[in-house]
Amino acid sequence: MTSETGFDPELYKRFPTREERPDSEVEELDRIWEAPRGWAFLTVVNNNYIGVFYIGAAFLFFLLAGVLALLIRTQLALPLNGILSQEIYNQVFTMHGTVMMFLFAVPMMEALGILLLPQMLAARDLPFPRLSAYAFWAYFTGGLFFFASIFFALAPNSGWFMYPPLSSKIYSPGINADLWLLGIGFIEIAAIAGAIELIVGVLKTRAPGMTLARMPIFAWALLVFAGMILIAFPAIILCTLLLELERALNWPFFDAMRGGDPMLWQHLFWFFGHPDVYIIFLPAAGLISMMVAALSRTELVGYHLIVLAILATAFISFGVWSHHMFTTGMPRLSIGFFSAASMAVSIPAGIQLFAWIATFAAGKPRYNTPTLFLIGALITFVIGGLTGVMLALVPFNWQVHDTHFIVAHFHYVLIGGAVFPMFAAFYYWMGMTSRRPLSERLGKWVFWLMFTGMQITFLPMHLTGLMGMPRRVWTYLPHTDWMATNMISTVGAFVLAAGVLLFLIDLARNFRFTVRHDAGNTYGGGTLEWLRAGSYSTRSIPVVRSRQPLWDDPDLRDDVDKGRYFLPFSATGNRETIITSPVRAEPQYLQILPGPSVWPMLSAIFTAGFFLLLTIQAYWPAVFSGVLVLPCLIRWLWDTDRPVASDHADVGGGIRLPTYSTGPGSHSWWAVVSLLVVIFMIWLMTVFSWFFLYGVHTYFWAEMGEPLWLIPILGGYGAAAGLVLLGRHLLARKDSTLWSPPTQFLLAAGALMFAFAADFIGWRSAGIDPEASSQAALVMTFLAQQGQLVAVSVIMALYVAVRNARGLITRPRNVTFDVVALFLLYTAGQGAASAALTRLFPGGF
Amino acid sequence: MPGADADRGKQAILKVGCGACHTIPGVRWPRGKAAPALDGMSGRALIAGRVPNQPELLAMFIRNAPSLAPRTTMPEMPLTEQESRDIAAYLYEVGD
Amino acid sequence: MLEGWPPPIIDPAGPYAGPISTLTWALFAMAALVLVVVIAAMWVALFGKAQQKRRLGGTAVIWIGGIAFPVLVLTILLYFGLTLTRSLSYSIGGDEMRVRITGEMWWWRVAYLDDRRRPVIHDANELHIPVGKPVVLELESADVIHSFWVPRLSGKLDMIPGRLNMKVIQANEPGVFGGQCAEFCGGPHALMGFIVVAHPPEQFEKLMQARLSPRGATGARPAVAGAELFQSAGCAACHRIAGTNANGLAGPDLTHVGTRRTLGAGILPNNRGTMMGWIANSQAIKPGNRMPPYTMLSGEELTELAVYLEAQR
Repeated sequence: MTSETGFDPELYKRFPTREERPDSEVEELDRIWEAPRGWAFLTVVNNNYIGVFYIGAAFLFFLLAGVLALLIRTQLALPLNGILSQEIYNQVFTMHGTVMMFLFAVPMMEALGILLLPQMLAARDLPFPRLSAYAFWAYFTGGLFFFASIFFALAPNSGWFMYPPLSSKIYSPGINADLWLLGIGFIEIAAIAGAIELIVGVLKTRAPGMTLARMPIFAWALLVFAGMILIAFPAIILCTLLLELERALNWPFFDAMRGGDPMLWQHLFWFFGHPDVYIIFLPAAGLISMMVAALSRTELVGYHLIVLAILATAFISFGVWSHHMFTTGMPRLSIGFFSAASMAVSIPAGIQLFAWIATFAAGKPRYNTPTLFLIGALITFVIGGLTGVMLALVPFNWQVHDTHFIVAHFHYVLIGGAVFPMFAAFYYWMGMTSRRPLSERLGKWVFWLMFTGMQITFLPMHLTGLMGMPRRVWTYLPHTDWMATNMISTVGAFVLAAGVLLFLIDLARNFRFTVRHDAGNTYGGGTLEWLRAGSYSTRSIPVVRSRQPLWDDPDLRDDVDKGRYFLPFSATGNRETIITSPVRAEPQYLQILPGPSVWPMLSAIFTAGFFLLLTIQAYWPAVFSGVLVLPCLIRWLWDTDRPVASDHADVGGGIRLPTYSTGPGSHSWWAVVSLLVVIFMIWLMTVFSWFFLYGVHTYFWAEMGEPLWLIPILGGYGAAAGLVLLGRHLLARKDSTLWSPPTQFLLAAGALMFAFAADFIGWRSAGIDPEASSQAALVMTFLAQQGQLVAVSVIMALYVAVRNARGLITRPRNVTFDVVALFLLYTAGQGAASAALTRLFPGGF
Repeated sequence: MPGADADRGKQAILKVGCGACHTIPGVRWPRGKAAPALDGMSGRALIAGRVPNQPELLAMFIRNAPSLAPRTTMPEMPLTEQESRDIAAYLYEVGD
Repeated sequence: MLEGWPPPIIDPAGPYAGPISTLTWALFAMAALVLVVVIAAMWVALFGKAQQKRRLGGTAVIWIGGIAFPVLVLTILLYFGLTLTRSLSYSIGGDEMRVRITGEMWWWRVAYLDDRRRPVIHDANELHIPVGKPVVLELESADVIHSFWVPRLSGKLDMIPGRLNMKVIQANEPGVFGGQCAEFCGGPHALMGFIVVAHPPEQFEKLMQARLSPRGATGARPAVAGAELFQSAGCAACHRIAGTNANGLAGPDLTHVGTRRTLGAGILPNNRGTMMGWIANSQAIKPGNRMPPYTMLSGEELTELAVYLEAQR
């Protein structure tokens, strides 16, 4: 057998070990991992708590947005109905879409990941528990504040895709649009934090022996899901930023009179928006794959094809964004391309669908509640997929685009592709986190009400659309043919709501949260989340030898429970988990995890405060709140990356692993690289905007920059990069002094500031006015992005210096030091590239 | 009302667009709010607060309100006498 | 009852809508076929006999049902769709009749152009075309994004600020075809309607000739008073009537308002009552529209204005 890291796979044969393990080890694990009590409980970071909070919050937003949906349906039940005024209706439908997409669907998938992933991988926790806590609190406080705007009739009212110029200052002068832009932009930060967590979790914290090919499909789905978030979400972060800059500072990115273009928004938004649909669908499809196999009591048929399908979906989904823009007058060639890609994306869905059908056929499915929900999901999703293929045909799209046909289509896709699977998952996995499973008897009622309600609501709605009823209309006139189908849809919506209500009753009767005394494996799943677990997750971390270890090794559950595998105790007296290699999951080192802390929560609340106070134009409180984030973040990080007493520890079976690691093998390295991918994508989208606006309004563009300024700018950034590398080199050298490595970082930070200042002064001396043209506004946007990076770099360099003074920069290698080095290098690179691009194009080439 | 037909009255209402100012029972669109709603006409003592509510006066008011109530905002309508009687009949019929 | 409403998709009246209607039926047939196949497969997988289930329970099904079958169906569809897209696109020759339609919040400005693309006739919310001839529409926006859509004549095309989109429509038969704004444009977007009226060519020519020399108010007393009131009440600040001092450009051009079939952007029939009601308080009919209520006008004044406007033909 070959090895990825030099770990000898023969060592796996030591497990299960034979000797009895003392119970005191369990008590110690319990003590170390116990959640804080009383008010301090809010500072909990364990994934089995945060995951449940997260799911609860996402479900709350599902219910709230569902109530908005009922309002919409009630208003449309009759022509000229007066339940909602025009303005309130416009707010209600905007909030329904926005909350369902941004506060429910994506966070719910992330939440399910946070709860289920570590258990499926038999990790003790996710690699950055405090980051999950931060993501949760940011999302929850920000989301509640955002939702509350509807109670003050201040909610956004331009539709969930917020097309400028309707959402621009001139046509939306109120703070409604700002709430959307800042609120959503901010909630995306939480989503990205979660995505980074999940990527590193999947790649680095799998149980030993769980090679990529043995990974549960859900883990594959989450990996791709999180990767897609890193690529797609920067586009919406950038477009919300640009629009907010246009609104607040009058920088004309979307104003055609000054060289902007409303289409820029549509490209950026849908570059996010379409992949977002698959971002929602893929994890749900992963859940379906897991449940179909478990409920049919057989191996998933076509595992490899499904993995390929997931990857293909992700790939193709980035090539279909323009199919939301077929009616904007695009050239025929690009229409053909996007039409073909939009059809192609249905093939991976077909692969998964038939894999599930084959799995049902290969096994012996029982007709319990989760199975019913899965069957309902498949039928519903297929119908949505078929209307999706219809929409990919451009001439048909020209007719039904922006009608109720579209509304019906995407509700089929999203309810079939995400909501029904989610309810199946609630029933299936409830035993993991509740003392009692949910009721099968009630559950079947829940299913039939929801399923029939869904069909009654949305099947006739296709017809409503074909009869010409546009979407987003607060009313319609009586002498149309739309009355009957609208009334039927409204009745259906209430049937669907009755199903959800019944589910709530089931929850109230049967859901009793626990991490220790759970009801267990009610549906007989074969993956690791069904191992007995406490707050520390499983007693020991098993060696994984197949895809359904619990089915293939009947003794596994007991052996794990008796501590016969990896890490049956705490090796260092801290919270810890085993970090394994990305492909073959060979043990690499022991990661020490941080425990409960109030700082992530405070950081999240102040971050939320910063963004949300900005929206209500409370500028000074916002700045105050923003400034408070910094000490909270630093205080949170200060505890991490501490020197460990012994550099190796026994992790069971006599295997010794390092207790510290840095560089490309370490979890921190992966996380920072993921973050840099996000920052890079934001930059890349800005570059796209630059070329796009140049292409659209070339006559507005001029050679504005002076290329000679590049000499000091590039010199400064080059020097910074050189100093960073020198610092890294010095740290590794035995004979360097205490201060020589961090001093290089401080000098590098100085060089970054110098180069940035030269860049800025260069543009100022050219007399640039960002309100005058989109070109100048984009130059300033590049500068603003670079300014932020430089500011963070300076803080980081100072942070390293302070830690060095306290003797926390260990030698020869140090995680904090390496992380900061990566960030500084990136900052220098992006700064140089931005400065060169803006000064050399157009003209210089 | 002798010789008046409520159905024809409704057609006349739609033809001259009474609904643009009045919300009228049985007229689904438009349902204007510039002037009072015309429900419960048979139970009212006065038309427009000053003219006794009698069928012939109502018909006349419908056709030429300024002649009965000089300062009213209700304009003269391009209706024949028959049409105005039909409309009055309609309003009494739906206003019971 | 208002003509041309609702706008039906599967009832085409011109060569740029007809093929789409055919396509719609083909697509529904395809969708029904695939749905039947999938549900049959699921039925067998769940309730079939053991032997049938075994045949279905392997990767072969994925290759056939999940890859080969969709690739085949989609290839056919794509070919069909691209051919159709090409057949629906029209290369503009230059001597077609041209009309510039500008989407505004929440109505449509219509300008008939001469052969040098200069506007010669101004109108709003209503487009007259000759039967059997292609008409080139220059679609623009004055404020936010709108979308021009007359489903019986063609698919929709957006009106985007700073861009010019060209669309060709053609009607095969005389008639009135309803349309509606299809891109959410805020406020009363729901009540932003439009109609296209197709006339036989000779009748159309007569109509256009008549419009080139608009007939204004007659000498009748209310019309003269209405003309004065139109100025003094402030109507002229927003509305234009050719040949008078009324030159406002913010609202619809009223030069031919007396001939229009609808008021309020395709939502009301045009008659004395709706005209007066719209002037008195259009906000109660179309909340949020840009025309303020004129509740201070007396009944007599409303009549004068209405008579004056009805005479603008």
